[in-house]
Amino acid sequence: MIMRPGQQLLLPVNPLFVWGSLLAALTLNMLQNMGLWGRATWTPDVLAVVLVFWTVHQPLRVSIVAAFVFGVLMDVHQGALLGQHALAYTVLSYLAIAIHRRLLWFTVPSQAAQVLPLFAVAHAVELGTRMLAGGNFPGFGVFIAPLLEAVLWPLATVLLLIPQRRAPDPDAHRPL
Amino acid sequence: MQIGTLNREPPPFFRQGPSALSKLAVCSAMAFFLMVADARFKVMQPVRVAVATALYPVQWLALQPVNAVRSVSVYFASLNTAQSARDAAQNMRITQSLRINQAEQLALENERLRKLIGMRDRLQSAANPAQVIYDAADPYTRKVVIDKGVLSGIALGSPVVDEMGVVGQVTRVYPLVSEVTLLTDRDHAIPVLNTRTGARGVAFGDMSIHADAMELRYMAANADVAVGDLLTTSGVDGVYPPGLPVARIEKIERRVDTAFARVYCVPLAQVAGTGHVMVLEPLTAQIPPRPTPDPRPAPARNGAAK
Repeated sequence: MIMRPGQQLLLPVNPLFVWGSLLAALTLNMLQNMGLWGRATWTPDVLAVVLVFWTVHQPLRVSIVAAFVFGVLMDVHQGALLGQHALAYTVLSYLAIAIHRRLLWFTVPSQAAQVLPLFAVAHAVELGTRMLAGGNFPGFGVFIAPLLEAVLWPLATVLLLIPQRRAPDPDAHRPL
Repeated sequence: MQIGTLNREPPPFFRQGPSALSKLAVCSAMAFFLMVADARFKVMQPVRVAVATALYPVQWLALQPVNAVRSVSVYFASLNTAQSARDAAQNMRITQSLRINQAEQLALENERLRKLIGMRDRLQSAANPAQVIYDAADPYTRKVVIDKGVLSGIALGSPVVDEMGVVGQVTRVYPLVSEVTLLTDRDHAIPVLNTRTGARGVAFGDMSIHADAMELRYMAANADVAVGDLLTTSGVDGVYPPGLPVARIEKIERRVDTAFARVYCVPLAQVAGTGHVMVLEPLTAQIPPRPTPDPRPAPARNGAAK
């Protein structure tokens, strides 16, 4: 087993936590839409960030098919063209699989810079399909969203790895 | 299993499933199939209903904090705001009550006159109050979601109005919620009547110039339209009841090189951020069936054939 230098040995992941975090990200996306910003174009797609995160960290659990299913859920929630997010997430997930062996050898800020093009491609796929299907250009806010998603990457790394960073043998001094 | 964890499972050399590229191909093909079936053949509504029903608990969960914050903010809204809102409502009620009294008399007179000359009665449509829960997130269209669905008797194609005028039309119905396409959506068209001149036209949604506007298309360059004209539903479409205010003309551009004038209108209803709306029953059900066409068609006249 090749150990990455300077990185902690992690506990095995809890599948419930993986799927729970994906569902929570979906809920957060809905919350952004329904409560916070309405029909804004610049809002970061939290679900896309979490999907890429788990595809990179757990490629055998969260695969392209899961990305596709979550994409369909997003489409139905948004009332968008059915299949638009599904296609974008499929492409996103494929690119994440393609870079997953390399990405984790870098520092977290450098990882964020490397996932930025992935998010940009996903948004471009979405924009492209909608323009082809005869939509209006929604405004330049769409170019901000990938940036925000890349900025969320370090936060996702911290939050989503917490359960795996616990001590393997918790005792009175190290309860977590 | 992932490199760098304490996972004790054997490394799955032989159970990695299909390759990523084949999964990408299959899923992309599925996505394209969904898109074509949805946009071109419109057969995906049952799938949407099923998924939306499965998604409803998550949606409900996400709505809870939103509703809580809303109710708290309403509670703490100042007394001043409440009083001014009450005054505005009272003013509106007084002006409206005057018109209602007149309207009742006019309706009676209209009914008698119609009986006198043997016309059909004006169509009445039942109303169903609803509340806008949120704007649909899709930035390429203009849609809102209301909190009534099939279970509350909302029918596809129902016109939706608020206290100022027409808001839009129900375009997708789910069991518990429905989607309303707003007047300002690019693909939405509504037949209108200019109340000053009586000329009929069709107004389309227009998202290009500024956020929420409409365009009255196919008006001849020398047509009698003026800034400030009120457009109401004409009632010829068999969906909207006649006489509902739709929009007011904001700007007219007449160019030499086109046969049509560009007429920009602003919708009267609060299309952005509406709270309470009324869903009317579409008139389609009440309209008498079309007369069967003459089996022997008349010879086509000039201009009639297209």
